[in-house]
Amino acid sequence: MSIRALWVITHDKGESVQVQFSRRYPSVEFRAKTFAGVHYVSVPEDCNFLPLLLSELGLADPDKPYVAARDDCSRQQRCPALELRVGSSGERTLWPVLTIVQGGIILACLPLIEVPPDPRPSLFSLASVSKGLALLCSLQSFLCGTGVKTPEPDVLVSRLATLPSVLMQVCPLGTPLDTFPQPGTLPGALVSGPGGAQKQPAWKTGVHRGRAVVSVALSEMVRSMQYGNQSKQDLWDVHGTVTCKCEVEGVLPNVTVTLSLPPNGSPLQDILVHPCVTSLDSSILTASSVEENDSSAFSGPYKFPFSPPLEPFRLCSYTSQVSVPPILGSYHLKSEDSHLKLNAVLKLHESVRNSFEYCDAHLPFFNRNLMGNVDIKVTSGQLEVSKEKNLIVWLIGQKFPKSREVTLEGTIHFSGHLAGPSDPMCTDLTAYIKLHFRIPDMTLSGCCVDQHSVQVYSSTKPRIVTTRELVSSTYYIWNSTGDAPVSSGPMLL
Amino acid sequence: MTSWDQRISSFLWSPSQFLSCTTSETVLAEILDRLRDDKTNDNKKILLLSVISEHPTVLCPNTTAGEETAQELVSILNFTPQKSVSLKCHLMLAITNVLICTLCLLNQTKVAEEFLNFLYALIQDTNDHAGGPGLHSVRAIACECLREVEACQPGLLSQKLESLYHLKQQETTALHQSYSLLYTQALKSAIRILSQQLDVDSTKLRSVLAGNEGFAWAFFKRENSVKVAVPQLPTTLDFKELKSIMSLLLEESYLMTSPSQSTLLRGLVEMVAMVPGISPAIFKSQLLRLFGTTEVELMHATLFMKATFTDSLFTAEDEHFLLKRLVGMAQHPVLRIPEKLFYMDCILHFPENRPISSSGEEGLPVLITPQLTRSLFPTVFNDCTTMLCRLNLLCLVHLEANEEEDGKGLGYLIDHMMALLSIVGNHRSRETVVVSFRAIFIFLLHFNHMENLAERLVHRLRNLYSKNCHLAPNLINLVDRIQECLDDSVWSVRLLKALQRGIVEMPPSQLTLQSLGWHLKILSRVAQESQISQRVTICFLLDILVNSNLCEKRSWNVGAAILAVCRNLLQHPTLNQMFIQLADLLQHISRHYEDTDIQDHARFYYTLLTNLSLEKLAGILAKAPVGGQAKVRSLSSLSSITASEEPGNCLTILQAESCVLELVKIDKNGSQDAVQILEPETEIDIYKVYREQLKTLDSAAEVTLRYHLTHTKSTDPRFNRIFTICLHFEVDLLHYAEVKDITVPCLLRDRKPDEVSVTLQPYHPYPTTIRASAIFTTEDGQSWHTHLPDIKVSFPEIFLPVPLFPGTSPQCKQNLFDQLWGATSSGEPSTSEMSLFCFKTSSNAVADLIKKNFQSYVISQEEKRWKVLLFLPPRFHILLTFSEAEDAVEVSIATDNWELLPHVNSYLQTITAHCNAVS
Repeated sequence: MSIRALWVITHDKGESVQVQFSRRYPSVEFRAKTFAGVHYVSVPEDCNFLPLLLSELGLADPDKPYVAARDDCSRQQRCPALELRVGSSGERTLWPVLTIVQGGIILACLPLIEVPPDPRPSLFSLASVSKGLALLCSLQSFLCGTGVKTPEPDVLVSRLATLPSVLMQVCPLGTPLDTFPQPGTLPGALVSGPGGAQKQPAWKTGVHRGRAVVSVALSEMVRSMQYGNQSKQDLWDVHGTVTCKCEVEGVLPNVTVTLSLPPNGSPLQDILVHPCVTSLDSSILTASSVEENDSSAFSGPYKFPFSPPLEPFRLCSYTSQVSVPPILGSYHLKSEDSHLKLNAVLKLHESVRNSFEYCDAHLPFFNRNLMGNVDIKVTSGQLEVSKEKNLIVWLIGQKFPKSREVTLEGTIHFSGHLAGPSDPMCTDLTAYIKLHFRIPDMTLSGCCVDQHSVQVYSSTKPRIVTTRELVSSTYYIWNSTGDAPVSSGPMLL
Repeated sequence: MTSWDQRISSFLWSPSQFLSCTTSETVLAEILDRLRDDKTNDNKKILLLSVISEHPTVLCPNTTAGEETAQELVSILNFTPQKSVSLKCHLMLAITNVLICTLCLLNQTKVAEEFLNFLYALIQDTNDHAGGPGLHSVRAIACECLREVEACQPGLLSQKLESLYHLKQQETTALHQSYSLLYTQALKSAIRILSQQLDVDSTKLRSVLAGNEGFAWAFFKRENSVKVAVPQLPTTLDFKELKSIMSLLLEESYLMTSPSQSTLLRGLVEMVAMVPGISPAIFKSQLLRLFGTTEVELMHATLFMKATFTDSLFTAEDEHFLLKRLVGMAQHPVLRIPEKLFYMDCILHFPENRPISSSGEEGLPVLITPQLTRSLFPTVFNDCTTMLCRLNLLCLVHLEANEEEDGKGLGYLIDHMMALLSIVGNHRSRETVVVSFRAIFIFLLHFNHMENLAERLVHRLRNLYSKNCHLAPNLINLVDRIQECLDDSVWSVRLLKALQRGIVEMPPSQLTLQSLGWHLKILSRVAQESQISQRVTICFLLDILVNSNLCEKRSWNVGAAILAVCRNLLQHPTLNQMFIQLADLLQHISRHYEDTDIQDHARFYYTLLTNLSLEKLAGILAKAPVGGQAKVRSLSSLSSITASEEPGNCLTILQAESCVLELVKIDKNGSQDAVQILEPETEIDIYKVYREQLKTLDSAAEVTLRYHLTHTKSTDPRFNRIFTICLHFEVDLLHYAEVKDITVPCLLRDRKPDEVSVTLQPYHPYPTTIRASAIFTTEDGQSWHTHLPDIKVSFPEIFLPVPLFPGTSPQCKQNLFDQLWGATSSGEPSTSEMSLFCFKTSSNAVADLIKKNFQSYVISQEEKRWKVLLFLPPRFHILLTFSEAEDAVEVSIATDNWELLPHVNSYLQTITAHCNAVS
């Protein structure tokens, strides 16, 4: 259960490609040779590996419209493992090369195959594959943080500089022993245990001393696709994560967090828990989004007993099906000569707290000329036209009016001769409003963590802080007069 | 000298390139030197160690070298101060890698034995009692090194189980994890070894568990292949102790990090599989915790349990639950994309309790229904890989379930294809195009038999092509791959037919020169299909040639593309039916196309068509099989002139992996060719005449270097006889003019090497390196490209005798020398400079030295005084006067180009190195 080599590569749309870090594990390579026998293919040198990887990822020769080796339609780009054709004639293959691509950063590793290599085994039968994936995922968080954005170059450089010493603890000889520490927390030296009989958990590098505080943050993300069209079904769903930071004394303190739903709340589904959770009631895991809702299903309270690590961690996550979207919208566009007539209505559902931190609607107009004269009136909030003249931002603000309804109406003239940026999902009347909002102190599923339900078994009474929020994720309202792309399969089969 | 950081990074970038100009011994010796040096700081040492650690077999090619290196590193480790914890750890890793990879461990060398003892002594210090927390990390690494050693040579620790168990029990710091892993690894090997032995009884098992002996060197039997059947211990043994050991390990697994926990779980599962006396139910207590996990490696370990124990641990209900869980995780918004892709792969390889087939190939579990997977439908919002992965899965689902749900799911999938293609139509990004064609490929693999769907796709692709003809290569690729994968693909032919019709019916206004290139590519592919009638293609071609100004436009590319279509038509089985039309077409091209090459080829095809029987024509035009006769191939390539992009085409140049050829210098045999000036000697001022002549000499001043072109030591028999070798040179263009390519007709390994003269024309006569490469043909008609080792041109190789008419008298030469000296010393030209060089030597040695190095350039020799005149093209001079004093030789140097002085100096230093030079 080891990896043969690890790479960190940066590029800029296929140009200025650089191997920022690479590490080979020759003792694992020795085992690979033994296992594979005549089928053994050695790890190419970095100078040869790089072009092969880029070609397989479709990043090689960015200026050439078609390259047979890169763009072949039968190349199996449908699993997380790539196959690189090495050697001059390409008859030998290096497989399975696992990769994670985030922006301009490519992480790659080659797991060891410990079963007969011919015929090619399935990824499922290779123990090292999930190890390699987990290593790459945790390396990704270490280098890039948890956000979607790639880090600034200098941040990346400084994190890369610490990588060799971190790898010394995480994966010194090719067998991953631990996950990468979260960015910012430098790998502290392992602290000796207190000397008692209790063994120190390997995922906890020390013990907390000082005031006991337990913070539990519940964050829900809501996604929605609204079409305003009989033939297309509107969609919305919600998923939540519970993040904890527990500053509690003791080597292995016990903490229990309980999530509860309001009466008639729909059950939490697809629950995933952190490995520090000590035990689970089987009923907690029964609800799944892939099955029809069962009203008699277990709907809480959901108890999670655990012993916390020192750093903040994601205790659990879930999905939930809610009956209504928090904001229901409609969007109509009408094209007339060089101008476009707009009409948009947004309605805040009565069950939703009318107190936003922010609520903005973005109306992009890509793949057409630049906006000239904009004559639009809104019943609430302010309008801004982006500098690039292809986006209208409607700042709705902290509150919807008493009617809980806001409207936007008017016309836009497109006159500029310069073509703006393009987006395949936003052409002609295929257009959308994208909503961005955050409502503190509420969840859509109704799920909550009661302060009093957090139990800590320790000598001192800890301070307990709980928070919750609802944040929009991909929240689209499509123009009902256009041809909007479908975002899910048929609901009823 | 570049810094070590740079050298190390260039080594790591490509060890083979790095070692092409030095040897591994040198590099290793240098690294070890630096490591021994107290002045090198720890960080630098760690960097240096990474080279050994990552490439032990490159630096130590055999066991002896490995042994010596390991010994060196051990002694460095011994002298490393206590506080250099990180350096110590890196040293231990490097030693472990060297010992394992150079087979020192396998061969039980002394250094390996000692190092293992050293590691084992280190791990005795549980809870850092003796060494203190400072040595904690060193101990962690020692555990890890031992674990790796055991993994590479299973059984080595199998006689130490009791001792390892106690260490594991005693340790209470976070390091207990390392001890547990080490113990589990050793226990697993011990059980495997035991299960392969005959007559195992309870006593034997007990004695193995209570083992407290040395390393089991004798156990090694390297198994070259992994056994498929798991060996098992007899059920009659007493497993109570083993069971309690395993239970304890499982109980404490919670204290381990997820990656280590998964290693432990897998180890335990493998062990229980070898011990039928212990029930898999031992894992039951952990299952619920594992079912809910968010960590991919723990979920995978759980599925591994499922695969190993099937219904002896998992009920049908569990199975259903796990599958639902997998489907849920394959689209869980909180998980990362690669994890979700992996879960999708797991669904297709799900270890069912009662699998229908056991081929291990991709297949759908029985419990997967369209209803269950409805949330996995691909959408245009997915990233590319997710979309393709989902599509593949859903195609499988709906292929099986099509009848049950009146095609709704399938209808969605085809709508999705259409949505993708309309995005391709609106948006020309390369990635969108590639992904859409991959999606169509996957879809067709499953549904090509469904007439109406396949037909809809053909129709849509034809429309798409009519507006986006740059998609031609993608369409041809799709057609080719579908044909390869499906034996009788009606679909490919149907698509090609539709494209052909689309092209020939296109209104002339839509035809541009650029789009025509794409259309011809498609038509050329269409012409390869025996089932498609080609008459319309010929009419179309004739029409555009006759009714447009194409012939006058003289585009070779378009002409060649048309001929490529014709070439395929010549091979078409229905050639008889379109004989006259094709002949007309070829004749038209040969008469009217205003490009001679195209005309010639058209005439050639015409002649072939009208003079050969169809069988012969097919025989000539058919591509020779791989490795076939060179004659056939050359004829075939003669008749094909298109620079086709197909790989494997005769026009492709293959890249040789290593150097095939090299140039070996031929030693000068005294008679250096001088640049000759045909001017009779007269009584006039030789200096003035000479200066005048130099002006006209300019471009003729060349240096000719002679080499033997030979095979390198590599013995690839393909290259024994090679032909039409074209040597290409790259020189430093700042200082030298471009060197012309040289052609050598053939090179046979068993014959004497060919002589090659490389002519250099310097702008500035400095020493240089020439990069050389060659393109050649092998006997089977394939073309190859190879690099040659760099050619070093040293300073004396650029020397020429002064360019005077051959019969010039010595007196005249001396005159010239003196006048040149006079001019130079008075600063004429302004770039002139004088210098002095001294060295100690005996008197005989000076004469020898001059004879050896300057014989052709000596102008005069008086007693203990030599005058040497070197000419360096294009027009520079170095004048040397050697005068022997009492205990040293003084060399006065004059030159009309002061920039040459450093080279003169270093050259004199080299040739007088053995004489204790004093500059």
